Amino acid sequence: MAAPPGPVPDTLPLRPAPGGPVARRRTERGRLVKSAAGLGLILVLWQASVPLVGLSDYFYPSPATVARAFGELITKGILPVYVSDSLLRYLGSVVVGGVLGLLLGLAVGLHRGLARLLAPFVNFLYAIVEGAWVPLFVVWWGYGIKVIVVLLVYIIFFPMFHNTMVGVRTVPQVYVNAVRALGARPWQVVAEVILPAALPNIITGFRVGAGFAFRGLIFAEMLAAKTGVGYLIYEGVSMQNTARTIVGMICMGVMWLFIDNLYLKPFERATIERWGVVVVPEDGH
Amino acid sequence: MAAIPFLAVALGWLLAPRVLAYPRYLLPPAGDVWARFLQMLADGSLAHHTGGSLLRLAAGFVAGNALAIPLGIAIAMHRGVAEMLRPVLTFLQSIAGIAWIPLAIVWFGIGNGAVVFVIANIVFFSVIYNTVMGVQTIPLVLRRAVLASGGRGVRILTELLLPGALVQIILGLRTSVALGWRALVAAEMLAGASGLGYVTIESVQWYKTDVVLLGMIVIGLLWLLMDRLLFVPLERATVVRWGMLQR
Repeated sequence: MAAPPGPVPDTLPLRPAPGGPVARRRTERGRLVKSAAGLGLILVLWQASVPLVGLSDYFYPSPATVARAFGELITKGILPVYVSDSLLRYLGSVVVGGVLGLLLGLAVGLHRGLARLLAPFVNFLYAIVEGAWVPLFVVWWGYGIKVIVVLLVYIIFFPMFHNTMVGVRTVPQVYVNAVRALGARPWQVVAEVILPAALPNIITGFRVGAGFAFRGLIFAEMLAAKTGVGYLIYEGVSMQNTARTIVGMICMGVMWLFIDNLYLKPFERATIERWGVVVVPEDGH
Repeated sequence: MAAIPFLAVALGWLLAPRVLAYPRYLLPPAGDVWARFLQMLADGSLAHHTGGSLLRLAAGFVAGNALAIPLGIAIAMHRGVAEMLRPVLTFLQSIAGIAWIPLAIVWFGIGNGAVVFVIANIVFFSVIYNTVMGVQTIPLVLRRAVLASGGRGVRILTELLLPGALVQIILGLRTSVALGWRALVAAEMLAGASGLGYVTIESVQWYKTDVVLLGMIVIGLLWLLMDRLLFVPLERATVVRWGMLQR
């Protein structure tokens, strides 16, 4: 089966799409219709199940109730504030943690001695699940934003560090030698050979870290924040308004859809897929 | 040489109370944590909480897989249904687990039910997603091979879909347990009544930081043990040997 030109499709179909670009566009549209149908089916099943389950709105809100709660949150101006708060915390921490992980991973990857010194220690820290650090952070800084930011920086640091280190270490020596033979200075070797060659690993590390960090954001907000989407999910239940909780959950999913499809995947596609270095599965695990 | 950072941290930890002045609850001396470890070992609370956590993890893991694998295979068998549901599954998978904790509290109250539900939830959505994707990415060649040797219907299920799904499941095993473990700790903190996560967050309000530190160390060690003693050998014996995963 020949690889189709252009962006790699979401799944390799069991039967290859027949025909050329026009037919392919038709199957893309067909897929969109199917996705909408799937979503519609779930919504219909949900709405239909409400009278069957027969519990109050507190236990089992209907899509209508959730839609009403959504409208309420928008008109009261709560939702936009919560979403922007969450995004701000997320983006700031992810950038800081990502840069730190990249720099340290680079340093450790380039210097064998440093690797032997720090790698096992960092790996042990990585084994301590992110959530487990939250109580300690709360002891140190009380409930609040600092805990959330530190946690997110921590979460994204490790995959970035690990993947950068691995990426740098596995650059084929041939490339380095070739460039050195042409008279490249050390910094040129790093900038023009090692970094680009390690880029697939680095980007994968960033994507993995970004995913974990997003979940970490929601968890930390549930525990230690007074605004934000995670807080909304928790607050809905504590004020007996389960519909708000569901609005929060849906928001969370949509936000991740945005982040993954508008930023992470295109970035991946524009760099490593274009350079033909690797074809990544779309699930981002 | 690898031990140097550990020793440095240990040394710093031992010396800090002598060099700096700070309240005991911010960083209890190592001796306190060790004493707490011995105490919790002796009165059985360490075993109680650790055992409880592991049991909840196992229960959630089994429940999640038991529901996800058959359902995933059933969905994957019909390409049309699979295509319809793929975006929904992707969406649900992105909010699986931790986001459901408050809802779980509504349905099950605080305690085992909520925690096991959250773990089962995240395992379910990640396994079903992997199963559906896995079946869809079985190479066309294999499908044609089964068809060419006269297989139809049930044969396709048993000789193509199930082994393909099995490979996906093993590949995803480490990830799903890792996700389940994270969900366990988080859920116990927010919705638990016992267990490592619960004990850790509960001690915060009593400023019993030695318990917090002990909890963190146990959580880290448990994952390291599970990973090195279970998953790496398991992967080596199956998917690495079958050439499906480079390590």
